[in-house]
Amino acid sequence: MAQGEVFGFLGPNGAGKSTTVRMLTTLTTISGGSAQVVGIDVASDPDGVRRKIGVALQEVGLDPRQSGREILILQARLFGLSHAEATARARELLELVELTDSADRRTKTYSGGMKRRLDLASALVHRPEVLFLDEPTTGLDPASRLVVWEEVRRINQLGVTVFLTTQYLEEADQLCSRLAIIDGGTIVREGTPASLKADLKAKRGDGIEPTLDDVFLDVTGRGRERGAGEVREVQ
Amino acid sequence: MNALKVLGGRGLREAWRTPDALLPTLLIPLFFLVVNVGQAARIFPTDTTPFLRGQSYAAFQLPATILLAASFGTAALYLVEEIENGYFDKIRATPVSRTSIALGRLIAEPIKIAIMTIVIVLIAIPFGVSVSSGIIGLILLVILAAGWATGYAAFLQFVALKTRSAAATNSAGLVFFPLLFLTPNFVPRDLLTEPMEIAATFNPVTYVMESMRSLILEPLNWANVAPGFLVVSVFVVAMLAINVQVVRSYD
Repeated sequence: MAQGEVFGFLGPNGAGKSTTVRMLTTLTTISGGSAQVVGIDVASDPDGVRRKIGVALQEVGLDPRQSGREILILQARLFGLSHAEATARARELLELVELTDSADRRTKTYSGGMKRRLDLASALVHRPEVLFLDEPTTGLDPASRLVVWEEVRRINQLGVTVFLTTQYLEEADQLCSRLAIIDGGTIVREGTPASLKADLKAKRGDGIEPTLDDVFLDVTGRGRERGAGEVREVQ
Repeated sequence: MNALKVLGGRGLREAWRTPDALLPTLLIPLFFLVVNVGQAARIFPTDTTPFLRGQSYAAFQLPATILLAASFGTAALYLVEEIENGYFDKIRATPVSRTSIALGRLIAEPIKIAIMTIVIVLIAIPFGVSVSSGIIGLILLVILAAGWATGYAAFLQFVALKTRSAAATNSAGLVFFPLLFLTPNFVPRDLLTEPMEIAATFNPVTYVMESMRSLILEPLNWANVAPGFLVVSVFVVAMLAINVQVVRSYD
């Protein structure tokens, strides 16, 4: 991954996306080989990695009995900030994700979109160099999804490198400067969305502009049958 | 140390904000105190029952009440909830020591139970109960209850971490009931039938209960108090060590 990019990690269900994220974020022991994040070995210096990364997993990890502000302050203090620094940082992040008005309400009263935005903010308290987002928009309605996309772009503009897994190819197309497709535990294709589409267009030679969906289906060994206005996936 | 303080503070806030979970831990033991005393107090009148040492039967029953209050460990159920919703992973992804993560939530438990023990003793005073070992005895009683609560909460937290299941953690909490009934709960150990006496002798809760009873019924007697402190110390150290180990190897 290059510094400052939004890197997409795509793959069918069960391909190993979430497991990869959990390994890179020190939450699961690496079963084989080695991994480095920001030049730090994940297995030998997990705390070093933790200081450099932010994590927002598939499940929105919030404590329902605390307010949004308390969660951010607690998270910041766990990264070593003083109470005053943590309070100031929480205020700043609540403004960033536009949750200032709801900051002192307990998170159990938040909507799904608000919870996800707070989760993103809590991953940023210590100004990480890399932000890992594991399917950040799964389960959100289309409007909330657009808000999260906007947040991811804003975070990236602040200089944070983003590693994003998603099942939504449109999301990857919108957000990622580069992506990799994993299937059966192996990366089967890597490049920019434009280059991957151009490669497929050249390969098919039919002059039709492929979408990222077509690229995904092509590299994961699936195809599409077209006819009578219907499109269906076949193995 | 900072992380331990921060996580401990969160545990206390959590307890304060969930009175619906806290109240039963006070009311259910008091209910058992009232029922047990109501059933047996006339069998053991103060003036003709030497083991009461001049106090009411409620004083004899008080340790069971305190121990029951100290054995709910509701915080472990919140931990399961956090494992399920991903918040536990969020905390694990921070660079704080795994020991702080293991112990952070447990810090609130002794504070909660210390307050609850004082409340139970205050409620019992109008019913003719006093702490015969004085203020030092009361402090020791509170420490013993808080220690037991820490060990038991750590046991339930261990179950929560291993099973990640609310049902299993809830069921593990019930383990205390057979242990409580295998103690000299209603009469001193030497008045139990032989099989019960043997069972009570092998039951570590017996020694905690007898130490508490000694503090309530007689002037400070270290020989009678020490076994309970020894059992609680071993229990707490063992449970905390297991918890730290489980959090370190948690995947």
